[in-house]
Amino acid sequence: MSRAHQLKIGVSGIRGVIGGFLTPNLATAFAQAFGSYVGPGRVVLGRDTRTSGEMIEHAVTCGLLAVGCEVVKVGILPTPTIQVYVAETRARGGIAITASHNPPEYNALKLFNAEGLFFNHYERGELIDLYHQSNFRQAPNDEIRRVVMDTESAPSRHIARVLKHVDVERIRRQQFHVALDSVNGAGSVMSVRFLEEDLKCKLDAISVDPTKPFPREAEPKPETLGDLRGLVMRKSAQIGFAQDPDGDRLAICDETGTILDNDDVLALAVDCVLRRLPGPVVVNLTTSAAIDDIAAAHGCQVYRAPVGEANVVERMKAVSAVIGGEGSNGGIIFPSVQYCRDSYLGMAMILDRMAETGRSISELAARLPRYYRKFGKAPFEHGRLGGMMQELEAAFPNAQVDRSDGLKLLLDEGWIHVRASNTEPILRIAAEARTPESLAALDARLSATLR
Amino acid sequence: MDAEKTLRISQVGLRGVVGAGLTAAHVLDFAAAFGTFLDRPGRVIVGRDPRASGIMMREGVIAALLACGHDVIDLGIASTPVIQHTIRRQNAAGGISIGASHNAVEWNALKFFGPNGTYLSTAEAGELLDIYHLKKFDFVEWDRLGHLSTDERALDAYLDQLARVFDLEPLEHFRVLVDCTNGTSAPILRRMAERFGLNLILINERMEGVTFAHEPATNRKMVALQLAPLMRHVNADAGVLFDIDSDRVALATERGEALSEELVLPLLADDFLARGPGKLLITNLSTTALLEEIAARHGGQVVRVPVGRQATIDALAGYKPEQIAIAGEGTGAVMMPQFRFIYDGIASMLAILSILDRRRLKLSDLVESYPRFSMIKGELPLETKRMPQMLLDLEKRYPDARRNVVDGLRLDWASRWIHVRVSQTEPIVRVICEQRGTPPTALYDEVCDFVRGYAA
Repeated sequence: MSRAHQLKIGVSGIRGVIGGFLTPNLATAFAQAFGSYVGPGRVVLGRDTRTSGEMIEHAVTCGLLAVGCEVVKVGILPTPTIQVYVAETRARGGIAITASHNPPEYNALKLFNAEGLFFNHYERGELIDLYHQSNFRQAPNDEIRRVVMDTESAPSRHIARVLKHVDVERIRRQQFHVALDSVNGAGSVMSVRFLEEDLKCKLDAISVDPTKPFPREAEPKPETLGDLRGLVMRKSAQIGFAQDPDGDRLAICDETGTILDNDDVLALAVDCVLRRLPGPVVVNLTTSAAIDDIAAAHGCQVYRAPVGEANVVERMKAVSAVIGGEGSNGGIIFPSVQYCRDSYLGMAMILDRMAETGRSISELAARLPRYYRKFGKAPFEHGRLGGMMQELEAAFPNAQVDRSDGLKLLLDEGWIHVRASNTEPILRIAAEARTPESLAALDARLSATLR
Repeated sequence: MDAEKTLRISQVGLRGVVGAGLTAAHVLDFAAAFGTFLDRPGRVIVGRDPRASGIMMREGVIAALLACGHDVIDLGIASTPVIQHTIRRQNAAGGISIGASHNAVEWNALKFFGPNGTYLSTAEAGELLDIYHLKKFDFVEWDRLGHLSTDERALDAYLDQLARVFDLEPLEHFRVLVDCTNGTSAPILRRMAERFGLNLILINERMEGVTFAHEPATNRKMVALQLAPLMRHVNADAGVLFDIDSDRVALATERGEALSEELVLPLLADDFLARGPGKLLITNLSTTALLEEIAARHGGQVVRVPVGRQATIDALAGYKPEQIAIAGEGTGAVMMPQFRFIYDGIASMLAILSILDRRRLKLSDLVESYPRFSMIKGELPLETKRMPQMLLDLEKRYPDARRNVVDGLRLDWASRWIHVRVSQTEPIVRVICEQRGTPPTALYDEVCDFVRGYAA
């Protein structure tokens, strides 16, 4: 891990490897900056199931109390659930202690404003300046507030919001046979309750023990979901759901044991929403053109934002989008519940669509516009990035160019998106085309140029 | 308040005013230094006094200890003696007490204990301080982090220990008025009364985070103001005033007289030496000379060390436990061998009551059975750089006195002494003067004038 970032302090918060990198001291200082920024008032604090969560939770609580905030601890909860709770309880802000899909040695702080949303670009800049200035508010003894526990109400608040947007009775009548893999993460307890009690599914669940370590790689993707696939096949489940450790991302396994492409999951959700609620759609630059086809079919407009949940949410608010997300990483954002990636909304919506149409999940996926995609990465040297991007542009002279996040080249046969990772010194490369042949051709030209 | 002047970092630990000097970063760094200092991963006992800032400091202490791989047993609000007792009972690697004892409510502090529940020696504390200053902490990896738990048995186990050392049953007939100063003694005493049937009347027993009913000092002035006037009204046999962390006491008699804080140690020393004749009594240079008379009665010997907790701790380490009858200081803080030398106000209270019981005496009669000593204490401002010359000149001014220069200057005559010492924390000189019989006003004034001559 020569230059992989074991500690990253930047506009998206603080993230790092526990031990010598992400220390309690840093977490406390960052919480002090956050608390100074949102002001003395209630701040909601929750976490995922990582072993370091408890330690970081105490460090963050210390920092928040030191600047005069009251801390409302909601315990182990999915990130979207924490965000809904922040918004509903009119807190000054919230912090989720989670490194999301990163490996277990990592942890991080996700920071939310009073509406339970990621801070916008300018606010994030201000916050990081405040952190570096280190001139935090210091509450004297008589201004130190309490720590309040509320580990009960948050799941109900979130689930109630989700269920408002689906036909609950229609889903319940189906008594869907569902498989679940919660990676022993923050969704473990709540997802079982949601599927079994709220949606009356017949559930076969694995990895739903929040006291156990992650049994698989944290990111839910085809290579890591072998156990879920096996469970679906063995139990003849109609659908399998997989979450990441903080319950914001959703992956789906169909009844044949095939893990759906993340872009297809988002496409299904977009289709569900636009049928009932036509309006603007926002996705990131790496998301499939299938979204454009679906939106066009409903007469709706698609906007593209730079990669990153905060960027997508910011754009969604600006254009009053009805649905959005990031196909590339399994995030569905439905503002009527909350401006955040929400696996629960995704599960409910897909089950509702299956109930409505009577079709299996594989049939629904098969009806989506078909594109072929390839994702890759390549290392690059510092100082070489600009030159590489220019060479790429020159290699595709007829392309329509979007430089808002790395370089995206739109071509007749498909598109290419190349961007530098925020967390590692690598280029992330994505390409999509209508046919396998044209994808192969695109890929060949791309590889030749990058080499 | 000036931020720089309220933060004290020394071998005694970390102390300061929260919000004006003592920050969360200090707490994290100091606790991480302690977590690094403890050479083996193991349990660490943590407790705090009721100050509101302790809520914040507790979180930081726990985070840093867990990050260093130590399992933390959190006692919540707990007295310092209970924390020390639990360290031994749990065979823990050490402990941290969060609380500022007799300081005003806006102050807070961290105190550190080793595996026996005793304060760190000066050498150990120096090492801790070095780690703090280097800021190179041994944080462990994600799969070796410590876990947090509680110990519901801590209070009762501590009371069990008290009940083993003191015969509590005969103490039932005493009626004791206790001023808890809104500190940690209240829950302990309530539980003790409940379990052992003691007749304790508690005042200021609500633990408060923001306002104490009065200044948390255990001295005669505070007893006279707060406790003594109530004594006759409640018809109590003794009045006891506790500080916030329950390691010190001051006393009022059944007649409503406020006793000097200097008297607690002599009363207990007499009893302990009577039962262990020839043993040592360890105290500091500013504590009453009554101790020498008491020691002489029992063939014991007084070991005088510099003022400050650290000097006493280091002195204790220099002897075998069975050589020592008792240790303590004139502040009302006393350590007994049965408690492996931790300052414990509740043990001091029980020891006094058991003397009254065994000797069938009223507290005022017990006090009157001793010769009277009168002490005057005061302090004077003086620039730090003027102090050495002042002390040298003062020594020459009184050539007839026996001198001791271990801590400032102490001058002894047959029936009086004066101790002039330099504060470690402020540019002031403390003057303590005592005489057998009437107050040594003339000598005290003379020396104070002498010191003032250097202030110009």
